[in-house]
Amino acid sequence: MSRAVGIEALNLFGGTACLDVRALCDHRGLDLPRFENLLMSEKAVALPFEDPVTFAVNAAKPLIDAMSETERARIEMVITCTESGLDFGKSLSTYLHRHLGLAPNCRLFEIKQACYSGAAGLQMAANFVLSATSPGAKALVVTTDISRFALADGNAVQEWAYSEPTSGAGAAAMVVSDTPHILRLDAGAYGNHAFEVMDTCRPGPDTEAGDADLSLMAYLDCCAGAFDDYARRVEGADFRETFDQLCFHTPFGGMVKGAHRHLMRKHYKAPPNDIAADFKARLTPSLTYGRRVGNTAGGSVFFALAGMIDTVDLSEPLRVGLFSYGSGCCSEFFSGVVDAQGAARLGAMNISRVLDDRHSLSIDEYETLLSGASAVRFGTRDAKINRHLIPAAWRDTGGARLVLDSIDSYHRNYIWA
Amino acid sequence: MDSERIFGLLVAQIRDTVPDLETHPIARGDVLADLGVDSMERSEIILAALEEIGLKVPMVDLHGPRNIGELADLLAAKSGG
Repeated sequence: MSRAVGIEALNLFGGTACLDVRALCDHRGLDLPRFENLLMSEKAVALPFEDPVTFAVNAAKPLIDAMSETERARIEMVITCTESGLDFGKSLSTYLHRHLGLAPNCRLFEIKQACYSGAAGLQMAANFVLSATSPGAKALVVTTDISRFALADGNAVQEWAYSEPTSGAGAAAMVVSDTPHILRLDAGAYGNHAFEVMDTCRPGPDTEAGDADLSLMAYLDCCAGAFDDYARRVEGADFRETFDQLCFHTPFGGMVKGAHRHLMRKHYKAPPNDIAADFKARLTPSLTYGRRVGNTAGGSVFFALAGMIDTVDLSEPLRVGLFSYGSGCCSEFFSGVVDAQGAARLGAMNISRVLDDRHSLSIDEYETLLSGASAVRFGTRDAKINRHLIPAAWRDTGGARLVLDSIDSYHRNYIWA
Repeated sequence: MDSERIFGLLVAQIRDTVPDLETHPIARGDVLADLGVDSMERSEIILAALEEIGLKVPMVDLHGPRNIGELADLLAAKSGG
């Protein structure tokens, strides 16, 4: 049996506020059949006092709090995975290290490759653990992305409209170690597919651009190609038989449905009814949290994993196939095993309840945020954050949640509120 | 397979995928998006056409055509017809 490695602990953070996606589609005059194809109900919307650091720390804090002093001291690497960085030099991991109170003997860095960043971070951490260069060491891997809505003007909002209903925000924090309670990775069982393509990108500090058709095509090519590479490495791997559950990167549920259909047609020429039944059984559980936060980019495949673990019957351990895709593009298909013990640990994070506690934004409140007047742009030197732009969204958590308070000579100051 | 045959095959797939278009006239100059076919349905139509033609090419190689006629021409060129 291969050495144990994988995710020891996992938590998600889906923000303080969310928006009803159907209300948004109605407001924008988008037709309803298209809305149904998204398989989405809510999207997370970052407030002025939330940034990629607060999302990341708020996802990771409950994991760190649950560890003993000795365990915390073994976190020897912090990897932030993001396409929403705040600085070209300084990585978000430095802020995480500070606000999580980690030990100084620690590697801090950041990984960027669009929505693939989280899988890249997990694999880097897993290989650090497998290398046993520091036996018993743990790594903290945190994906954190928020959609860039601090836009210049009305035209920019219009350009962004193609992805507005699906653009979300969220962070997924994972402790990676040799005691993988949540997901035991099948070490060495993975497949990659990558090539250069300009499908979606973030070409400026506060802009997103892209071609939805091209991105979908690249996603489909990668899903098929990454699984083929997995099957080349793993003797006897079969898309339909090997995995009890599947968790795919989820820009929106409809895209996952398309990729699943593609693989079921390609490998088995499966008829529509079989494809629909298989999707319902093996992929619907993975949409549980994604449909409540929107596209969380680097974290999306882990939102899928958590949603699946929190909803399926795990009285027997299950093998799960995971697919991550990041525009530009790079992708990976990998696998691991989840069980009831992991489900109990994940359940202790109360992910669903924390999502329920978010403030549901009215369209007027959302438009106020979109206007960007109070948003802190990339490269801001000094600022005092308006905490009460949307008064109803403020939550007094008695010091349990990190918020952005001010910026002083580019240095971001956060407080526990 | 020549472009005309592929066009006929695409039209059949479009009608199959989007039942609302079953009786709607479809011409080579028509744009799928303008006919109300969303991006998921467009990829489904193209994948089904590839399967029927027996053509194996990356989907990204089929990005670019501005209308159904151009898509048929591109598929014909890729299939050597």
